Amino acid sequence: MTFGDIGAGALRAALLFALAGIAAAAFAARYRDTRGLLSARWCALLAFVLVLIADLAMTGALVTHDFGLAYVANNNARETPLFYSVISLWAALEGSILLWTLILAGATAFVAWRATRTLPRLATTALVILFAMLSFFLLLVTTPAADPFVASPFVPENGRGPNPLLQNNPLMALHPPLLYLGYVLFSVPFAYAIASLILGEGGDRWLVATRKYALVSWALLGSGIVAGAWWSYAVLGWGGYWAWDPVENAAIMPWLTATAYLHSVMVEEKRRLLRTWNLALVIATFALTILGTFLTRSGIVNSVHAFSLSAIGPLLLGYLVAILVVSSGLMLWRSRELADRGTLGTPLSREAIFLFQNVLFVAATVTVLLGTLYPLIAEAVSGVQLSIGAPYFDRVEVPIGLALLFLMGVGPQLPWHGASRATLERQFTIPALSAFAGAVIALASGLRGAAPVLTYALAAFVTATVVQEIVRGVRARRVLHGEHAAQALAALFRRSGRRYGGYVVHLGIALIAVAIAASQAGAFEVERTLAPGGAMRAGQYEIRLDAIREVEEPQRRRVITDLTVSGPRGSTQLGPAFAFYPNATQPVGSPGISAGPGEDVYAILAAYDARGKAWATIRVRVIPLVSWLWIGGLVIGIGAVIAALPPPRRREIRAPLLAAEAATGAE
Amino acid sequence: MSEPAASPDDIRRGIGARRVLALAALTLAIVIGFLAAQSLAGSAVYYLTPTEAKQRNLAAGQTARLGGQVEPGSLRYEPASRDLRFVIGDGVSRVQVIGTGAPPGLLREGAGAVVEGSFQADGVFRASQVIAKHDEVYQAPPPGATPSHRTTSP
Repeated sequence: MTFGDIGAGALRAALLFALAGIAAAAFAARYRDTRGLLSARWCALLAFVLVLIADLAMTGALVTHDFGLAYVANNNARETPLFYSVISLWAALEGSILLWTLILAGATAFVAWRATRTLPRLATTALVILFAMLSFFLLLVTTPAADPFVASPFVPENGRGPNPLLQNNPLMALHPPLLYLGYVLFSVPFAYAIASLILGEGGDRWLVATRKYALVSWALLGSGIVAGAWWSYAVLGWGGYWAWDPVENAAIMPWLTATAYLHSVMVEEKRRLLRTWNLALVIATFALTILGTFLTRSGIVNSVHAFSLSAIGPLLLGYLVAILVVSSGLMLWRSRELADRGTLGTPLSREAIFLFQNVLFVAATVTVLLGTLYPLIAEAVSGVQLSIGAPYFDRVEVPIGLALLFLMGVGPQLPWHGASRATLERQFTIPALSAFAGAVIALASGLRGAAPVLTYALAAFVTATVVQEIVRGVRARRVLHGEHAAQALAALFRRSGRRYGGYVVHLGIALIAVAIAASQAGAFEVERTLAPGGAMRAGQYEIRLDAIREVEEPQRRRVITDLTVSGPRGSTQLGPAFAFYPNATQPVGSPGISAGPGEDVYAILAAYDARGKAWATIRVRVIPLVSWLWIGGLVIGIGAVIAALPPPRRREIRAPLLAAEAATGAE
Repeated sequence: MSEPAASPDDIRRGIGARRVLALAALTLAIVIGFLAAQSLAGSAVYYLTPTEAKQRNLAAGQTARLGGQVEPGSLRYEPASRDLRFVIGDGVSRVQVIGTGAPPGLLREGAGAVVEGSFQADGVFRASQVIAKHDEVYQAPPPGATPSHRTTSP
């Protein structure tokens, strides 16, 4: 038996279990029958194990260079290092869908075993939907369109090797799985939302049950986006990290709607408002994850990421249309049950800020979608080919981003229902002063222009509100419980994780905003042609070209320019290079980066003398504060973990309460 | 967990506030929509082949993107002055492109390239940006056809 046989067999068996799972879960949901649930659980677990076997079979085939499989022949070579062989599982379309299916099977099994203990209709109905989605993806990977285990037409002596861009940096091990985890985990809130519509449940049980899935999915998607930006910065060698490329837009759109959702959820919980809106946001987020996959995997939009045109496109489009039709149909059918019961506060209340924030997030999503799809629309309508460049996105998204940054500072400071003048003064005196200080810092560090200076001011504003909240929380605990400052801080994070984790996320966003403003507005570039021994200046740095040398490696040949960078941080060695891969007609550049807390020195080999190695053209970008973008991503991740951790069991509170209940005989 | 019942006063205030908020949200959406439409018209860059560019008679200075193949034997880069010159063609028409700075590492003669910039009065295209298409499988477009800026499977 080959790896191909094992994988193909496992996927087909998994499909049978997924289909059986639909029936079993539906039976359990309809009759609240334990036998149905038990069957559904085992179906889910077996389907997951079988998909895992298929994924491992593919990994085994990649690691052992089994070129009898077309996927391996196209994405692996004998010289590919072990590490890149393993991660080639997601180097191309079929493998990515295989990984996607594995995560979905894992989520289905998790829900089946964790959420259905008491046979609630909601969870079992959601399970039916998860099984149905899993069946779709298993059907996908067992049709010829996207079957990863198709045999090669002939067994080649050696494979073509992975896409050179994907075997140039270890971040590739991190970025796609994080994105896929984020994408796929959002299936769970979606399945619950649809289940609640089918059952006609008026309450917010679906939302409470899936809050954590949404948060975790959002955090993974966000980390995946930051990891992708970092990869782009470290690999693509243009000195930037975000280009409003369709692939990037596809990832940011569901993240934007998910962010809106995480906030509007609180309005529904606290004020019984925005029910329809929340359902719509969950459906939109889920649809956008599929749309993004469709856009980038079908080759329908122009992208430097250059994915191949594939027969999988129409299938995904059909899936997307089905999701939209079914979801909107259900929402119309249940519109009467979805009416809001609460009332809205004044425009200066927290729920009002959440409303504006949601409008802005949705506007950001719609405008990004418009810019991404406009070339398609224009071509369909008038036959012209055009592109919408970064200027469009910058002009539209920067103001929206600044407005959101402002609301991020205001929202948490306002009470529900409405705020009095005294509250406003108490909450906003220090933050307003900090905003002023932020603007002064921006101007003093040489930034000009409204957007960067405003960004600094608003980031300082947000930071001040967060610090103020934490200081007040700590002070209150010290007074009430007599704790030390550190102890009180830990208790805040532990006991009110959702609130204070959220504040930490806000700090991370402020950090990222500053990093973007500084690195976009404060970067400069110098390009010179140097002979070995020659030197150039870029700001405070002197860059000397020591040598141009060639290195032969098993899987590639590299031309490296050895540079010595001397500056305020001492002197460092950088080696920007071109890598020549046998499967690519064109070399891949890799930059040399000297990262620092104040600024990065980013050196790119732009051209070199291939014959005599007598000269090389070196481009040096000095990029301020860009490292803080990745650190900001980490802070957001930490905040999400704080928010997702369950609060400690409050024995000391519950015990007296239970005693009191027993005494009064209540319930 | 249930909300206290809203008094008639609350409801009246609620409806008033709701109207103000809805109006504000609507205004916000309209402003953003207007901004988006404005920016969309301003930043659409037409993607043309050299043939289409000649047919359209683009005004000097108007930003456009030309896509085609770097004509074999035409790529020149002068390291000292950092002058970059090459000819981009689609099998029917050819356009002389000039730029400043080293060509992107992936730019090769005979391979696909996209240049963004504008025509000078003398018909030479001054590129502000040169993008090499790093498609794994680049297929040269048929003569005169718009080069696909998408990739095709092998």
